[in-house]
Amino acid sequence: MRHTSSRISQLFFLALFLVLFLMTEYRGSDRIGVAVNAFFRANPLTAASTLLAVKGWVPFLLPGVIVLVLSVLLGRFFCGWLCPLGTVLDLVTGRIRKTAPLTWLKGSVKYWLLLPLLVASLLNLNLAGLLDPIAILVRALTFFVHPLLGETVRSGWVGLYRVFGEGRDVLDPGYRFLRDYLLPFRDTLYPLAFLSALVFILIIFLERFETRNWCRNLCPLGTLLGLVARLSPFSRVPAKLCADCQACRELCPTSFDRELLQKEECILCMECQLHCPNQRVRFRLAGFQPAAGGPVMERRVLLGGLVGGLFLAKLFRFRDPQSQARLLRPPGVRSEGEFLEKCVRCGECMKVCLRSALYPALSQTGIEGLYTPVLIPRLGYCEYNCTLCGQVCPTGAIPDLPVAEKKREVIGKAVFDKNHCIPFALRKECIVCEEHCPIPQKAIRSEVVTERDFSGRPVTVKKPYVVDELCNGCGICENVCPLEGKSGIEVFAVKDRTPLREGGLESGGKGGDPYS
Amino acid sequence: MDRRSFLRVLGLSYLFHRWLLRDLAAAGGPVLAVAEGADYGRITRQAINALGGMGRFVKPGQTVVVKPNMGWDRNAEQGANTHPLVVKAVVEECLKAGAKKVKVFDRTCNDERRCYINSGIEPALRGMKNVEVKHIEDERFRKVPIANGAVLKQWELYDEALGADVFINVPVAKHHGLTRLTLGLKNVMGVMGGNRGSIHKNIDGALADINSVLKSHLVVIDATRVLTAHGPQGGDLRDVKVLNKVIAGTDIVAADAYATTLFGLKPADIAVTVAAHKRGLGEMDLRKVRIIKA
Repeated sequence: MRHTSSRISQLFFLALFLVLFLMTEYRGSDRIGVAVNAFFRANPLTAASTLLAVKGWVPFLLPGVIVLVLSVLLGRFFCGWLCPLGTVLDLVTGRIRKTAPLTWLKGSVKYWLLLPLLVASLLNLNLAGLLDPIAILVRALTFFVHPLLGETVRSGWVGLYRVFGEGRDVLDPGYRFLRDYLLPFRDTLYPLAFLSALVFILIIFLERFETRNWCRNLCPLGTLLGLVARLSPFSRVPAKLCADCQACRELCPTSFDRELLQKEECILCMECQLHCPNQRVRFRLAGFQPAAGGPVMERRVLLGGLVGGLFLAKLFRFRDPQSQARLLRPPGVRSEGEFLEKCVRCGECMKVCLRSALYPALSQTGIEGLYTPVLIPRLGYCEYNCTLCGQVCPTGAIPDLPVAEKKREVIGKAVFDKNHCIPFALRKECIVCEEHCPIPQKAIRSEVVTERDFSGRPVTVKKPYVVDELCNGCGICENVCPLEGKSGIEVFAVKDRTPLREGGLESGGKGGDPYS
Repeated sequence: MDRRSFLRVLGLSYLFHRWLLRDLAAAGGPVLAVAEGADYGRITRQAINALGGMGRFVKPGQTVVVKPNMGWDRNAEQGANTHPLVVKAVVEECLKAGAKKVKVFDRTCNDERRCYINSGIEPALRGMKNVEVKHIEDERFRKVPIANGAVLKQWELYDEALGADVFINVPVAKHHGLTRLTLGLKNVMGVMGGNRGSIHKNIDGALADINSVLKSHLVVIDATRVLTAHGPQGGDLRDVKVLNKVIAGTDIVAADAYATTLFGLKPADIAVTVAAHKRGLGEMDLRKVRIIKA
């Protein structure tokens, strides 16, 4: 274990990352002060891809731009001092026996990944999050590690109840502490949990071939920082391996497998300076100078990357209309196009969602929307007074709205299926949906109908209907419908997501009520 | 309370409160205490004291469940949940009577964390000794056979409610889309597990069934402010009417029947009340109920 400044910084940021991850959860306050979104806002890759897609300025991405500018001056310090995935790799790599580096990973593979992502962003499809290291880590934690931890502890807790019954209460304070600070509140199963875990495990597996394999040869964030690092005036001397020593070859985690320090791979861990047997190595300002080491990439890579981006952005747009009809986005998202420009697929909204209503898209959006959040009302509904997803979204893809405004945002519209809905299909009382509808004037109402039941006896039944003008599509009706399996009322996506009229809800006159 | 201790209480009250016993004997039917005032903690205590005090129901060392309605992510003012001051007063009286532990919970409709906090009940009880405000834990539901169930033959009920020495039902009086009003009888739905929405098909009979196996030893109805429309959730303050009343009694049907009149309705208008009365769970004819203005 090293005890250098860079390692201390790495551990600090990894701890910070994990604490922020755990803080991305409802804990009794309507606002979440700080969340793991801080890491995305300071992330130059997601900042760059979002700004390219939006083609405008997004104020809270300023930290990411600052990191990018700093990288022009200092090089890839982000990778060696901040990146939590890099730290995880540094922590495990010592335990992984190395074979020879994979030669096919060397060279321009990383540009083949980075360029198409950025070009697709220019063409309004923000895919950078799919391969962003921090997003990969957050998704692995959100969809796989955290639920697994939660379920394991919880099933142990339930098991204790089966054995000790009330006696379990002795341990309750301890369990409460775990539940309140460490575990996810709900046991949620996510689609894509396997893929999220697999990508993360694969990155660790790559350490078999060389240290920081992902960081050097694949990571699009590292590649982007490497590109600007070539301009850095801050450089190591001597730039080459010294003929008499060559210790750097062993000390350097990334870039001394060739004779010359690869500036775009140097993560500024300063190991070589600290451990140089002859105290020769210095990092110092040397003035702007074109980095040695030849051109950045061959022309065909550049062109190929451009074409790749075009393909990426245009070839995966097919969407199945049937699942499209149920494609519900988080509250406040009014346009699908704009959402695809901004959403970096980091998974934070799904992590924070109170009722576990949001899930990573797989079938609903086609490949182009992979990992973007969709609301599945049968599994969880959008809580009326909650604005957490907007608060933690790093890029504003889900807008951070005041509660009063968020309540009026339309997610979709509820529609009854009379073939299933109990009062219609069975001529029996129900209206559980009406009871749960959070709209103060009720977007679900009922009319009292007297008719004959199927044995001919007269019955009076309340038959529900939806007041379209008041429905915000929160999905609680579909969620609580007591029918098993398919719900008798379902929320469908709508193109026109103009918010409900103001004054219809808590305060004003009869503005929101078309039937009063 | 078993019969012996009830007799003991009766005997003791005879010695110390001859007037109380006289009242009970004179009426022959159930007694309701109704207190009115703007200090909700105080009127809650007044109503309970008028019945003979919490000591009549809670003995030292007993475990008490206080079951408010806190099913909705609404604040105290909006009238969808039992007022925190009413709940707090009931809990305090239980502790004063010597309760070993007071448990407060509800199976909420909205997110439990938000409901417990936004209702004001969890904050009001925070830091109180021997008081437990926990979320429902699914593993604690257990199947209970309902011997004379008309609609339900068995259902999953919460073991802490079943296991308590005393079960105190503290509903808020409010409008409800299906049952017109929700009061004490319906508040018991908060200890039901499983797919409780499915009982709406025949809710009157189903609630009578549940109340026949889970008896409320004391019912304290919060009518400090009531939702007159768009219940059970409300949300619009124009639907909230301030009545400043608390009703307490041991007869859940009588308590519900009386609370019904506060909405300008007759007890017979509420099918849940009628079904429970027919099941022998209590008296709905208010002429047979002694009402003490506390």
